[in-house]
Amino acid sequence: MKNTASRSLITLSASALALPGIAKADAPPLNSSLSYKISSYREDDLSREQVPFGDLGRYDIDVHQFKFISPLGRDYALFIDANHENMSGASPWFSTADNDGQPIINMSGASGIYDSRSEIAIGARYYSLTGNIGGAIGYSEENDYRAKYVSVSGSRNFNNDLTTLTVSASHSDDEIFPSDAERFNRVRKENKRAKSLAVSLSQILSPVASFQTALSLTGQSGYLSDPYKLQDSRPDNKTQVAFSNSLRYYFIDANGALQGDYRYYRDDFGIHSHTLDLSWFQNVTNSLKIVPMLRYYSQSPADFYSNIDDFLKPLSENQSSDYRLSAFGAISGGLSFVANFGGWITTLTAERYVANEKYSAFTVDKPSPGLVQFTRLSLGVTYEF
Amino acid sequence: MGTYCEIQVFETSRVNAKRQIRRLIEEARRLESKYTRYRDDSFLSQINGSAGNQNGIRVDIETAKLFEHAQVCYEQSDGLFDITAGVLRRAWDFNLKQVPTESELQGLLPLIGFDRLTWQEDILFLPENMEIDFGGIVKEYAADSLAKLARELGVKRGLINLGGDFAAIGLQPEDKPWQISVSHPDNRAKAMAHINLHEGGLASSGDYERFFVLDGKRYSHLLNPKTGWPCAGLTAVSVAANLCTVAGSFATIAMLKPKKDALDWLRKSGLPFVFMDDAGHIGGPGLIG
Repeated sequence: MKNTASRSLITLSASALALPGIAKADAPPLNSSLSYKISSYREDDLSREQVPFGDLGRYDIDVHQFKFISPLGRDYALFIDANHENMSGASPWFSTADNDGQPIINMSGASGIYDSRSEIAIGARYYSLTGNIGGAIGYSEENDYRAKYVSVSGSRNFNNDLTTLTVSASHSDDEIFPSDAERFNRVRKENKRAKSLAVSLSQILSPVASFQTALSLTGQSGYLSDPYKLQDSRPDNKTQVAFSNSLRYYFIDANGALQGDYRYYRDDFGIHSHTLDLSWFQNVTNSLKIVPMLRYYSQSPADFYSNIDDFLKPLSENQSSDYRLSAFGAISGGLSFVANFGGWITTLTAERYVANEKYSAFTVDKPSPGLVQFTRLSLGVTYEF
Repeated sequence: MGTYCEIQVFETSRVNAKRQIRRLIEEARRLESKYTRYRDDSFLSQINGSAGNQNGIRVDIETAKLFEHAQVCYEQSDGLFDITAGVLRRAWDFNLKQVPTESELQGLLPLIGFDRLTWQEDILFLPENMEIDFGGIVKEYAADSLAKLARELGVKRGLINLGGDFAAIGLQPEDKPWQISVSHPDNRAKAMAHINLHEGGLASSGDYERFFVLDGKRYSHLLNPKTGWPCAGLTAVSVAANLCTVAGSFATIAMLKPKKDALDWLRKSGLPFVFMDDAGHIGGPGLIG
């Protein structure tokens, strides 16, 4: 009988903690918000050594993103995303050998490529006491590409809301109809489909630490080659597996949090990759946060990667000189400022990315001359009302 | 809520503070319009209106969880805290200062008993003439619910006061605890005691001007659901706990128990509390100053 009342305390606390207003772990966003973000992505020019003839300029992309989020009643939320991108520049067209047998790049048409892409997605989500479930549909269109996709996901909290299990699935159906197909003997119209399934588990380890692990499986089928490359032939099916882990720890004395992410990826093109991310979230004042970020990435080459196109090989045999399929390493660093004043949240981010075969964690037999270096700047504002 | 309510928020931005308070008032109004006894269109009135209805009434998760908490209160108090005891107000009119007859009370007792409620999943069957009163639960729950919402809205320091049921969000600026004055049962304008509240909730239960004295005997509005007669225990008690809902359950149950049982039970809980007994003696481990 010693602890009757203490048992009462435990029992009464337990039932009080189950009350929705107190327990509600999953809730729709509390306010409506409208966001706009502009990003400028600039690839560095190639050098004359890499490209003996023609323009050295590569891709520039300007991205405008709009997002509207609104609670619908107490249990639902509506999401609308609209994006518009303007792309211009040139990309590697084919790769040949110079007199020393070293690969050199031939860029796509001197007049360059101009394209724009527009995308709209709409989604809704229902929030219950124990989790949430929702879905979205999206459509995107550009001169030579059209994509339709649908996604669903659901989360469930258990273990006193310390653990969350999320399952998501998506399907996309894309059409490719390259420009100037007749003139350059490109494919006229092709299709590509992707299905993806992901499971993630997040666990709150302590009041200052949380951990998340996720496994995703994606299957692509259809035309997976690059229609704008002179000699590019990839398999019609691709299976991708990614395993991600994230640990976040809040340091009370420093008023900041460290987040470390590691991702392992492999696909049946033969690419394996490791990504290691470190971010520090420093609260400077209640309304200002500074986030420096550092990322290392490295991948092995695709089985059919070649840094010099072999034009004697029939297209029925797989080959590609796409630098994204070569073995390389990349380091990127960034800095974000997040300020929150009177209902306005402003985010300013700068990022620099440098890829080099020397940074590779994998053996590089055929280094690509076309690895990319880029700078990205973005400015976003969100207004809550 | 038919009582004095106050929301304090400490924020560097006045615009943010105003928006936060607007959302909190919205939530307070939502809960009030859902659970008030004083409006015919409230969900609680619909539940009471369903008494005797063979089809019962379907309740939402929030209401079902409040019933579950009420059941825990009923069990932990050995049947003293009973949300079906409100029918006794039909015999007791504290404004008229009349003592009902034993037979009047006996006539009402069969209409009391939490264990007489039956459920089929989320459908409640309330027997004819019975009624539900969430006093001692819902206002306290609303205070916690507002505090939770305030935290989600980014409030770091604030205090919710719904007619003497408090929920604190963080400490006061300069990291001082919230000093809360508990009203004197005989005169609300006077302080009975002060309690320091850090994070969490504080709730009070007591006679609070709803009693009368007849022939030298004090009749409290806190009625024993088993006999129909007023409880002759403490005059007032305030309890602090991690949640205002928990504090409220402890305060209400303590008021319904005989004085010695109540004090023993409160002491064993380890929660800070302040009480006043019928002799006007004030004490308890939560007392400061």
